[in-house]
Amino acid sequence: MQQYVNVSIDGAIVKAQKGASVLDTAIEYGICIPHLCHVPNLSDIGACRLCVVEHVVNGRSRITASCTLNVEEGMTILANTEKIRRLRRNLAELLVAQAPNSRAIQDIAMRCGVTEVRYPFRNEDCVLCGRCVRVCSDVWRANAIGFVGRGKDRHVEFPFSIRPDFCKHCENCRQLCPMTITPCPGPMTSGNERLCGGCESQRMTNDDYPGSCVWCKLGENFGCGRYSGNQTR
Amino acid sequence: MSRLNSFRELEHLRERLINQRKSITTTVMVCGGTGCQASQSRKVIDALQNELSKQRLEGQIRLCVTGCHGFCEQGPVMIIEPDNLFYCHLTAEDVLDIVSQTLIKGKVIQRLLYTDPVSGKKIEKVANIPFYQMQDRQILSQNLMVDPCSIEDYIVAGGYSALAKVLKGTSPEEVVKDINDSVLRGRGGGGFPTGRKWAECREAPGKEKYVICNADEGDPGAYMDRCVLEGNPHLVIEGMMIGAWAVGANKGYVYVRNEYPLAVEHTRVAVNQAREMGLLGNNILGSALSFDIDIARGGGAFVCGESTALMASIEGKVGEPRAKDVHAVVDGLFHKPTVLNNVETWANVPFIMLKGPSWFSTKGTARSKGTKILALTGQIKNTGLVEVEMGTPINTILHDIGGGSVSGKQIKAVQIGGPSGGCLPSSKFDLPIDYDILTEAGSMVGSGGMVVLDENSCMVDVAKYFLTFLQDESCGKCLPCRVGIDRMLEIVNEITEGKGKLGQLELLEDLADTVSQTSLCGLGKTAPNPVLTTLQYFRDEYETHIREKRCPAGVCKALIKYYIDPEKCTGCGVCMRGCPQKAITGVKKELILSIQPCVRNAEFAEVNANLKRLE
Repeated sequence: MQQYVNVSIDGAIVKAQKGASVLDTAIEYGICIPHLCHVPNLSDIGACRLCVVEHVVNGRSRITASCTLNVEEGMTILANTEKIRRLRRNLAELLVAQAPNSRAIQDIAMRCGVTEVRYPFRNEDCVLCGRCVRVCSDVWRANAIGFVGRGKDRHVEFPFSIRPDFCKHCENCRQLCPMTITPCPGPMTSGNERLCGGCESQRMTNDDYPGSCVWCKLGENFGCGRYSGNQTR
Repeated sequence: MSRLNSFRELEHLRERLINQRKSITTTVMVCGGTGCQASQSRKVIDALQNELSKQRLEGQIRLCVTGCHGFCEQGPVMIIEPDNLFYCHLTAEDVLDIVSQTLIKGKVIQRLLYTDPVSGKKIEKVANIPFYQMQDRQILSQNLMVDPCSIEDYIVAGGYSALAKVLKGTSPEEVVKDINDSVLRGRGGGGFPTGRKWAECREAPGKEKYVICNADEGDPGAYMDRCVLEGNPHLVIEGMMIGAWAVGANKGYVYVRNEYPLAVEHTRVAVNQAREMGLLGNNILGSALSFDIDIARGGGAFVCGESTALMASIEGKVGEPRAKDVHAVVDGLFHKPTVLNNVETWANVPFIMLKGPSWFSTKGTARSKGTKILALTGQIKNTGLVEVEMGTPINTILHDIGGGSVSGKQIKAVQIGGPSGGCLPSSKFDLPIDYDILTEAGSMVGSGGMVVLDENSCMVDVAKYFLTFLQDESCGKCLPCRVGIDRMLEIVNEITEGKGKLGQLELLEDLADTVSQTSLCGLGKTAPNPVLTTLQYFRDEYETHIREKRCPAGVCKALIKYYIDPEKCTGCGVCMRGCPQKAITGVKKELILSIQPCVRNAEFAEVNANLKRLE
């Protein structure tokens, strides 16, 4: 039998499935916590940290990623405080400065309220969200790609840089990659990167409630939890 | 060696060994720790061994190659008991004199004695040397007495008696209570109460539990865990056995970095010796405890000192941290309840069990008890390992024990706690070594590394150094740590290169706060500390770099400007010949030389030296 626990997210008491993550529960109830590395049905690693929330324990709030935090009875979660919004905006700013050449990343930046980027753009091809690596290992059990290197040198690679026999050519890695969605005006060339801000319509209409889901088009393409019914398994 | 099957057999062995050693009149303890080995102590030891066997003195004089004595600055060092004589800066040539003069005739060799830099007097006895006098050496004092590769030495020194005492009549609950009462806190950095950790692990469901000793010490300028493990591995093993008894584990791991070959070797020898004697294995000393230890060698990643990354590494996975929302005491190694403690924490356990928790808790401050080993490095006279009571003011450590700065200049700051700690300015030197007080000041006790910086150090450069280290050591799993540290380094680099802009300090602070709050593991959460503390206490230096494009300490190469002082220039032309960029023009022997802006590079520093010579 399914067991449930009561969790308070931003003041709303919701019934959550035992063992589910806070992020999954929030999405299920339409409380959108921005996220990038989380994909439904894949294991969560907490890499992008965009889904940070405040977890209040005995009056003291602890900041942690909601995708790796499992629900517990009586838990209090604050996903939309001033502090969280600021941290999330800073993280999205780092992200978009690193890889502006993706509509998915640009949109996340927009939704997190980034209006200016204070760092020089880098135009990298990968944000190391690990969606591809996890779909390969979790869904297909192929382990044909993985992370190689440490820190700045970390990148996604085939074993010894050669496509192995056990790669099933499923192309799921490509489908889930946020970098494959090009910005609307076309790819940005090196030196011409910018915060596009073209998708103003995707922006939260009221700054007081940026957590509410607007069923953005991005989510559909991007495997947002709300569209998980259409998700390729 | 025969297997010890009961407590009585252990006591018998101890008595027998003590009786055997009655004929020994003199013990010569030479440091074989890494610090002294770097100063060629191996040669001294070999020469001494040769000389002793040549003169057939082995029966009366025992040569004991010990672990680190702590006074690495004076290495190689030697202590001769029972006279408590201290010889330092030894070479192989001194050995003949030591044997013929001191060991046979009992004369003191003046030239090998330690000279007190303050009074200029020679000091004969260890007990009178200020460096040792001011310390409270509990763990390190054992380092002097035992040969790390000899379990007999350890047993003679009273080793494994704490274990016997615990196994004989203390229930696991009582052990946990004792550790709890002692208020021992984790020595690795976090300062989490060890007793609470043990209690939580003991209560966690599951039959299979683990204890781990974290010896993956990678902070720049810290080496206390290394010296304890190298100098006295049995002490750590004994602590782990007591821990295993308390939490109900029967398997332990010592995770030691492979860059510590001596520590790996000594631990391996010690574990094998303990196994042979039946101190590891099934039904230890006839009790209900069955426990064994494996050694896991780390591949040299700083992040593997983080508990979850360390466990992943032992499991054979990539050494990356994972989310710690469920603690390791419930879901740790192989998803079993696990207690992970630092080397120094484990080393404290046998003392607490032997002397009682109240003995331990009388030392220290209200919330930090016992002693702490600190590694004094940097611009300080007495480099070495220092063990002081918790609550000792930083000033005492720097000036009374450390002897002040090498250059004689004022000590400007001290970086406590390695890359995760912070820089404290001289105005904070009256603060005591205390977990909570240092954390409040923006720094932390951490593992205990103290890097001393004098007036010649540029604080922006220090921040840059630690950021470079952390950027290199970040595993790259989470965004704030991987990109955030990189961006912080980018900004600091710009500042040191004279490209800094005014708003960048605020950006740096904002970014540092984001990184520390949102990072996945302890590495990222503490990574901004060096930047935040230098910004807090030395903001003016950052501002001078940005506004005046000047480095007050003259460290940041891009900001050094050279000029020729027309009053002092004699027109010798040395500088002209020395400059690879041909930036100095003029006619030799005429008093007019001019300098042009040029590419400032490393070679240019030589020209600077020439210019100074002219002056």
